Amino acid sequence: MSTPALRLTDVRKSFGSTAVIMGVSLDVAAGSRHAIIGPNGAGKTTLFNLISGRFPMTGGSIALHGRPIDGLPPHEINRRGLSRSFQVTSIFPRMTVFENIRCGLLWSRGYKYSFWHLMGGQRTLNDQAARLLADVNLETRRDVPAGLLSYAEQRALEIGITIAGGADTILLDEPTAGMSRSEANHAVALIRRITAGKTLVMVEHDMSVVFDLADVVTVLVYGQVIASGPPAEIRANRAVQDAYLGAPAEAA
Amino acid sequence: MSAVGTAARPIEAGGAAGFVRRHWPWLAALAFAVVVPWFSYDWSTGRHSGFIVSMLSQIGISIVFALSYNMLMGQAGLLSFGHAVFLGLGGYVTAHVLNATKGGGVPLPLELTPLAGALGGLGFALVLGYFATQQRATAFAMITLGIGELITSCALMFQTFFGGEGGVSTNRMTGHSLLGMGYGAPIQVYYLIVAWTALSVVGMLLLTRTPLGRMANACRDNHERAQFVGYDPRMVRFFQFALSGLFAGIAGSLYTLTYEIVTYDTVAGAMSANALLMTYIGGVGVFAGPVVGAVLIVLLQSWVSLLSNSWLVYAGVLFILMVTFAPMGLTGLVLMHQPIWRAGRMGRLLGPYLRLLIPALAVTVGFVLAVELCSFLTIGAAQGKSFTLSRITVDPRSAPPWLIAGALMVGGGLWLRFAMRRFGATWGAVSEEIKRAEVRA
Repeated sequence: MSTPALRLTDVRKSFGSTAVIMGVSLDVAAGSRHAIIGPNGAGKTTLFNLISGRFPMTGGSIALHGRPIDGLPPHEINRRGLSRSFQVTSIFPRMTVFENIRCGLLWSRGYKYSFWHLMGGQRTLNDQAARLLADVNLETRRDVPAGLLSYAEQRALEIGITIAGGADTILLDEPTAGMSRSEANHAVALIRRITAGKTLVMVEHDMSVVFDLADVVTVLVYGQVIASGPPAEIRANRAVQDAYLGAPAEAA
Repeated sequence: MSAVGTAARPIEAGGAAGFVRRHWPWLAALAFAVVVPWFSYDWSTGRHSGFIVSMLSQIGISIVFALSYNMLMGQAGLLSFGHAVFLGLGGYVTAHVLNATKGGGVPLPLELTPLAGALGGLGFALVLGYFATQQRATAFAMITLGIGELITSCALMFQTFFGGEGGVSTNRMTGHSLLGMGYGAPIQVYYLIVAWTALSVVGMLLLTRTPLGRMANACRDNHERAQFVGYDPRMVRFFQFALSGLFAGIAGSLYTLTYEIVTYDTVAGAMSANALLMTYIGGVGVFAGPVVGAVLIVLLQSWVSLLSNSWLVYAGVLFILMVTFAPMGLTGLVLMHQPIWRAGRMGRLLGPYLRLLIPALAVTVGFVLAVELCSFLTIGAAQGKSFTLSRITVDPRSAPPWLIAGALMVGGGLWLRFAMRRFGATWGAVSEEIKRAEVRA
């Protein structure tokens, strides 16, 4: 079997004396769409924060394409091809939508901290940003400050920034949270389209989204993985139903 | 909407005409700067007014200084209390280079000495900025405050470089010039300042359009997000800080060329506060904001200080008013009117503005009167001056002027509150109409 895109080995995290993640081991196969579900407070977002380098781990290790990334700062992890979105929308509110996307592109295009390139003259960069803008259906909002977008538009922009750098491993934290049904359907189609050929890990509460998108579902309860497998298997799993799914699974 | 949209596009109406159309305010300002000393030219003596030339030179220096401050404040969201350090150190380096040139050490043409200041500012900003930019927000502000105090005390301790309390004197007539000019006359130095100010403005404007400039904005807006697109916010802060020090160093060089002496107060807190004042009053959100602030503050400083001992009080009150009521500064206030202007509804606001003007004037006159009465009671009396208003001598020890000042402030204040509420209602109604018209369209 080929190297997994992401391998978590006995990952632990405590805040003070409170253990939040208690020994999570997980393989995410390259090119798969992996959903992490679980009740509130199960540690899903904390797990994302550990993988992306936002918080330091208390124990265990994480490897991206076989190379350990634990202890690296977020920007280093991002440069190795892992990109994430946030549960609470995280964009650059005073910059225009186009600038937001372009900032997502800069590092991967090799501009680094350049103060000798004028952005206006970088044709490839600008074309690519325009294409991404079209990908997330925000072309008509190009020159609007991102802070003035509607909620659903900001979520789309957030996904746009996340994928802009061309990372091959994408972490999406509740991408459809707070959306109406039609907005969520729209977002799912968008995610499916733009993560084609990439590895996707997502935290999601909406079960219809999970079973629609994911190849593999992992259930996290109180900081531990209680089940991991194809959606159909998870749906049938008695322990999962007891611990978590229950009524929502049938409703979905 | 479309007007802004097209202006921001990279590919625009080309050629010289397009360039002029896009940048006419800057070109007009430059033309004005070139021409304005000649309005004060005295044909009988063949000299320019020293006061005007000195004030204009100071405006140029302040523009560069304030813009470099806004590279931190407005563009990177970094509040610095020690920015004068880089102006001052640029100034000291320039003074030493001039003295070395005069002594035959380095044959640097005078036109290029601001490069020495730039290198000085950059060098010190690289060293001190390394520490300051480890942090952001309040911690950053505290470190810059510490750096300011540190360098100010160094300036008094290390005599060889800083010259102690007397500072370092120099002479700009080094005899080395690319243009064969002597630079004895202030007007010649003024034109040198105009050239370097123009260069610096263009440089800083272009910097905002580079990857570093944009990522400075991004880190200001959301430093955490910037990390997750591959940028280390600390490095962004560091480079931005260093370049801002470079331009502050140029301002310091121009200072030295103008006054031919640098003392420790060029690095001190009051000078840093000046940058903050100019930038904030002009507006941190617009590139040209600090330019407006620099012009306004220098005018206040030069003219009001001729008329009154209390100009600092007025500058301070203006600052508090701006922070309270218009945190985006004067340029921000102007930009707020843009949607109403474009919708062609400015006429609707004309009446309400006039109704605001009268009570606002009353409050201002009352306040100025009160401040001046205080001032004449204390400093004025000590200086043996008397308070005259169009040949009427006002006695600050009598009751009537105080009563008039009080009445103007209280009466005008109440009226102003009422007028402001009415104004707010009209503003809201007009904005609402425009929004509805946009939705329909």
